[in-house]
Amino acid sequence: MTEYAFAPLLLLFPLIGVLFNALFGRRFVQPALYEGEDQEEPVAHDHATEVHVDVYEVKTEAGEGVDVDHEEVDVHVHDADAHGALDQQHGEIHNDPTGERWSGWFASLMSLSAFGVAVALFFSLMGHDFHGAVVPLFDWFRIPAADFHVPWAMQIDTLSVTMMLVVTGVGSLIHIYSIGYMHGDPNFSRFFTYLNLFLFFMLILISANNYLMLFVGWEGVGLCSFLLIGFWFDRVDDDGVPMNANAARKAFVANRVGDFAMILAMILLFWTFHTLNFNPIFDEAIHLFEEGQAVSLFGMQFSIATVLAAVTTLFLIGAAGKSAQIPLYVWLPDAMAGPTPVSALIHAATMVTSGIYLIVRSNVLFEIVRVAAEAGDVFPAPTLVAYTGAITALFAGLIAFTRFDIKKVLAYSTVSQLGFMVAAAGMGIYVAAMFHLITHAFFKALLFLGAGSVIHGVEHGHHSLHDHLQHDDLEPEEHGFDPQDMRVMGGLRHQMPVTFWVYLIGALALSGIFPLAGFWSKDEILAHAYNPDYGFFPVYIILTLAAIGTAFYMGRQVKMVFFGEPRHPAAEEAHESPSIMTIPLIILAVLAVVAGAINIPYIPFLQEVPDHPHGFNLLLEQWLEHSIPSFHLSAEGLLNMPYKPPVFSIFVGALSLLLALGAFFLAYSVIYGKRPTEQHEEDPIREVPVFGPIISAFGVLPLDTLYMRYLIPGFNRFADWAAYRLDWAFWHDFVHDNLIRDFFVGFSRFASDVLDDRGVDGALVEGSARFTRAVAGVLRLTQTGYVRNYALGLFLGVVVLLAYFLLVAG
Amino acid sequence: MAEVTIEWYIALSTVLFTIGALGVLMRRNAIIIFMSIELMLNAANLAFVAFARHLGDELLGGQIFVFFVMTVAAAEVAVGLALIVAIFRSKQSINIDEVNVLKG
Repeated sequence: MTEYAFAPLLLLFPLIGVLFNALFGRRFVQPALYEGEDQEEPVAHDHATEVHVDVYEVKTEAGEGVDVDHEEVDVHVHDADAHGALDQQHGEIHNDPTGERWSGWFASLMSLSAFGVAVALFFSLMGHDFHGAVVPLFDWFRIPAADFHVPWAMQIDTLSVTMMLVVTGVGSLIHIYSIGYMHGDPNFSRFFTYLNLFLFFMLILISANNYLMLFVGWEGVGLCSFLLIGFWFDRVDDDGVPMNANAARKAFVANRVGDFAMILAMILLFWTFHTLNFNPIFDEAIHLFEEGQAVSLFGMQFSIATVLAAVTTLFLIGAAGKSAQIPLYVWLPDAMAGPTPVSALIHAATMVTSGIYLIVRSNVLFEIVRVAAEAGDVFPAPTLVAYTGAITALFAGLIAFTRFDIKKVLAYSTVSQLGFMVAAAGMGIYVAAMFHLITHAFFKALLFLGAGSVIHGVEHGHHSLHDHLQHDDLEPEEHGFDPQDMRVMGGLRHQMPVTFWVYLIGALALSGIFPLAGFWSKDEILAHAYNPDYGFFPVYIILTLAAIGTAFYMGRQVKMVFFGEPRHPAAEEAHESPSIMTIPLIILAVLAVVAGAINIPYIPFLQEVPDHPHGFNLLLEQWLEHSIPSFHLSAEGLLNMPYKPPVFSIFVGALSLLLALGAFFLAYSVIYGKRPTEQHEEDPIREVPVFGPIISAFGVLPLDTLYMRYLIPGFNRFADWAAYRLDWAFWHDFVHDNLIRDFFVGFSRFASDVLDDRGVDGALVEGSARFTRAVAGVLRLTQTGYVRNYALGLFLGVVVLLAYFLLVAG
Repeated sequence: MAEVTIEWYIALSTVLFTIGALGVLMRRNAIIIFMSIELMLNAANLAFVAFARHLGDELLGGQIFVFFVMTVAAAEVAVGLALIVAIFRSKQSINIDEVNVLKG
């Protein structure tokens, strides 16, 4: 379709940004490195390692593997200007402010351009009556023998364009925010390279028209996640453990588990349908399901629903890895080791929602399994999805109660909210899942960026504190100062008013307070779950509890961070972040307030549309239904999707609002009303009867502890056993050395000593020589050397011949 | 006086051949052996001529073959005497029993 021919620009812009910053970024940001390229420049060499170790005042001593001066380095990356003199002593290169602007704004401009393309696609779709198209770019590969063909094509429809708008829109704001947040970081341009690379892969993921291309994006964003979590990979904690690099590896490994399931699902789809393209798979699946045809796999006959039940279960595992659901959520809280804009972009707003996108995209497959499962034929994978999401929502919410790290609270909150979305997708209310995905992207990005602003302020405060003190005056514990710890904060609303207000909006939106965005999206999920026609009442109970928890821990966080008195001098010294950081925050705050409007449904008599298949005029619903075929299929009676018109349930809405308000204020004014006032005080919630011990139990991070203490050491022991016993002792020493090598050596020795020496050499070569010699020894007797003997022989020969001719032949 | 028939010639040829063969086999002097060979050749020549006459060969094949034999004998004498001279020069002897370097 030529109308969408400009769609590839969407991928091109971020790619240009990647190339620009990867090739020229450092040249702009740190021109000093390139000024004397011919001269020897030892500074450039150890520059990257030197600056980063110091962020948490790690004392760089010999033995920590970092080759720097044996002298305490306390320069902070965000505070490079204030410590210019010290930097000079170390011969460090400063970021050029103009170059930083070039690098950061170029990346932001590319992101904004991609956003512009997404907006243009949005209007194109509007102009084409919401009918999407597939824009082919090129043939990726073709295997004629297997009748297998994977195009590289972009699926432009309402669902993918929704994701594009969210990804590029929120992404652009975070790019701009990062220009302020990453100011002074020696790897400034590397950060923006990764951010643009992430956008590139994320857009591949959501614009894919086949599962393989989606998987390319899926792996690409996983790579970018790894790179960005480990952005400060050279930082070590007080024990010398490289915690950021470890967190990056943890995220990567946990995602591999899900990716393995994704690959299996794709293989199953390929075997069944001989294609990986979305639309052909969905059409063929519906066709096969209607006809009741069996498909042949592994030489056996399976019903299509059985195959799809396996596929959807594998998709759930894949989504659990990427979208941080039980049992694979453990990587997401650790991913907070990355810079805060990364947490906002990748680990809250966009990448972690790709699991939900996958489920929504594959809605036809899920609905077929749901229909078949209702008949009791196959495993009810969609129900499992719903309960996985719901239990994750509650479980992660409870863990969030116990965290003191401002970002970890938000991280568990993200896991919890992703659980809401997964539960919604599992219940078959895909629009509500996407609605919550969009609003969550806004307010969670806002919260993370707000948290980044708080951390930035507190770090700044801590460093201006340092400036007034000599190093010797510092208390020993000061070396463990953590600017992300909510216990050191308090009272920040005075120092950081803008951050406070936007953070409050985000917190209220997340808690589901009317009329902010989170209220509408969360209660759409709750209202559907409450509807008895769906049969998911337990999910409603679990999600309501999780929503109460959400409001509680957000109340706790707002109180601990912004109210009360500062519990550490650094919090007193904190001050507001620059406007390049606060303006994106304000934009996101506005979005967090108004985004609910995109799907305010609910009041039927106001918006009833008689000729619409669903009877209601819902913006997002009408927009997305063009990309969710199971809507039409159930309208045509082919699938029995549990779709019920989302009538506004005053009971559900009012109840959850009441509970959320109650929980928020319970946290805000009762439990954390007066305390904590000291930095090292016990969390007051632990003193609450009954509830306190339960919360404390979640404080040990149940699954994380299980994995890190039992599963991984167990696996390591197994790997150890496999390596040393199975591989080395058995396989290498016994099988290779004793069986194979010794047998072979024995055989070669036999071949060498017996076959060759005695056989070939002895019998054949030397034997023929001996035989010749023996025969010659006899024959030589005839050679007397006397001519007369020869003459006699000749004579006798003549006589014999004559006798023969005369007597015999004659 | 009896007619000299073919038998006589054959008998003479046989006697000459026998004398020659015995000479070759029994004498050690290379010259004598040579002469014995000539004797055998001439015994053969005699037989050729006798049979040619006896059989009335109009093409004179027997007589002509004798000329070939004589030519070969002459050539052989030339080569043989040269060999004998060469042997004599190195050995100072023409006793063929002393020429036995090819003894196995």
